[in-house]
Amino acid sequence: MNKIWIVAVKEWTDGFRDRRSLYTLLISALFGPLMIGFMFSQIASQQKGAQEIKIPVVGRQNAPVLINWLTQQSGVEVVDGPADPEAAVRDRKSDFVLVIEKEFAEKFRDSRPAPVQVVSDVTSQSTRSKVSRLNSLLNGFSSEMGGMRLMARGVSPVIVSALKVEQIDIATSQQRAAMIFNFIPMFLVISLFTAGMPIASDSTAGERERGSLEPLLLNPIPRWQLVAGKWMAAMGAALLGMLLTLAVTLVMLSRLALEELGIRNHVGTGQLILLLAATAPMALLAPAVQMFVSCFAKSFKEAQSYLGLLMIAPTIPGIAAVFYPLTNRPWLHPIPVLGQYAMVTEILGGKAPAPIAMIGATLTAVVLTALLLSLATRLFTSEKIIFGR
Amino acid sequence: MIHAKNLNKQFGDFVAVDNVSFSAPDGAVTGLLGPNGAGKTTSLRMIYGLMKPGGGSVEIDGIDMVARPLEAQKRIGVLPDLSGLYPRLTAREHIVYYGQLQGIEKAELNRRIAHWIEILDLSGIIDRRVAGFSHGERTKVALARAIVHNPQNILLDEPTNGLDVMSTRAVRELIRHLRAEGRCVVFSSHVMQEVSALCDRIVVMGRGKVVSEGTPEELLALTGMTSLEDAFVSLVGPHGEAA
Repeated sequence: MNKIWIVAVKEWTDGFRDRRSLYTLLISALFGPLMIGFMFSQIASQQKGAQEIKIPVVGRQNAPVLINWLTQQSGVEVVDGPADPEAAVRDRKSDFVLVIEKEFAEKFRDSRPAPVQVVSDVTSQSTRSKVSRLNSLLNGFSSEMGGMRLMARGVSPVIVSALKVEQIDIATSQQRAAMIFNFIPMFLVISLFTAGMPIASDSTAGERERGSLEPLLLNPIPRWQLVAGKWMAAMGAALLGMLLTLAVTLVMLSRLALEELGIRNHVGTGQLILLLAATAPMALLAPAVQMFVSCFAKSFKEAQSYLGLLMIAPTIPGIAAVFYPLTNRPWLHPIPVLGQYAMVTEILGGKAPAPIAMIGATLTAVVLTALLLSLATRLFTSEKIIFGR
Repeated sequence: MIHAKNLNKQFGDFVAVDNVSFSAPDGAVTGLLGPNGAGKTTSLRMIYGLMKPGGGSVEIDGIDMVARPLEAQKRIGVLPDLSGLYPRLTAREHIVYYGQLQGIEKAELNRRIAHWIEILDLSGIIDRRVAGFSHGERTKVALARAIVHNPQNILLDEPTNGLDVMSTRAVRELIRHLRAEGRCVVFSSHVMQEVSALCDRIVVMGRGKVVSEGTPEELLALTGMTSLEDAFVSLVGPHGEAA
């Protein structure tokens, strides 16, 4: 046990003096959370853009009441519209134009439907939310005026409303925001892989490359303890990377106004512990896989290229999980990587995975780790690995 | 005390070591002399237990290397053909790492490091990182690291290969120092001068076989030559093929 620790401390000292491994650690910890933060703020600003609306109006002198009402609504600004509204929209000079006809004043005075035109391009994705905002504003004006007219005639306006329809025009942004949330488990697992990588490859393939494996193996220490020490060092780095990522993610989530995007932020202390318990098994397994693979490489660089390919393993299911959420599929839990994605998604969504799922995931990870480490120990005894350079 | 008996090693069809036997006594320097590719390194690897012999046996102070490798390896110190240092660690950290793996107590370890700093003249570089070291400095660090546990038997694979004059002298002095302490030193070389300058006994190898064995004087008498170099050429043949 003591010797395992000696090996681990040496690999840490060696590993953390390597600028490359420090940079990968930092980049892996910052990249994911910052990307999520960027995507969230993009959506938030789009939505804000839809709420703050500038309405180009042609013929504003025809409907002072409507214009007045519009300018009183929050986030609404009325400006003069272009001379040729349809051409302006077609050429994308304006997103949309509100046209008020001459007979508006007369019909409005007579309590007949007063005509207004909304000129827009329905095929344009980016303006759709603004147009629907304008439509709901116009509907609002219409029903408010109608209500007042009924009241003037002694009828309660409530009578004409058979339905009370609430329009929530942010539905699509809410979905997109929730989708971004699903990236978090992937970035957590990927940070485990990237942070553990330098030590996992340097302590195996690197030792072969330098020729330092041969004298090292001459020390009176059982091979399995040597492998265990190196694995422990890589695992420590991987855990550190994941904790950093988790910390940055949580700080970022607490700063973003998630509620405005229609997402409830569930992460408290309890969830934090659950998150760690759900991802920790991968911290055991990821460095073990990396070490095993690196044993076959003759140099640090060769190992890095193998491990780069290995990163595909957590990335592809991670991206898939963003579009096809993995919740409510308990049979996924014991499968490494997929199980972690499923559990982290559930925890962030405010649900605790069943204890049996957590135990199952931990057990498979422990068994696979032990298997890979014993295989790596065998490789460390092979003459081809020790002397093959 | 090292006994190698009937060692064999084959890589595919190629016989690298063919029935090699020799003994290296305590308090003496035994040289493994032979041209490149004669099987010196492979023999040493089997003796220090990282390569499994195809046949034959190795005993270190009476302990069988194949049956009890950890015990036998505790009694040897090895400088393999590559020094194999970690560029980001200091010279001291290298020695401390191996000392800890050998299970040496901290106070004792510090005492020994002080000892090696003096003998190998490491004081100027002991706390510097190895990355910028010269070949001679690297060899010294690797040597100190290899024998930090005071092993009775010391195996050196081409220790002076590529060293400058000053470093070569330092290594030679160390070898004499170890012999004076009554240790068993085995070193391999393809350089005549190294062997003649240091060795009490010479094992001449060629094409995986032991061609001849004895003191320098015995080898001269055997071949009827006046210089060791001529004796060597007559034993292994002008092109390195064993006679």
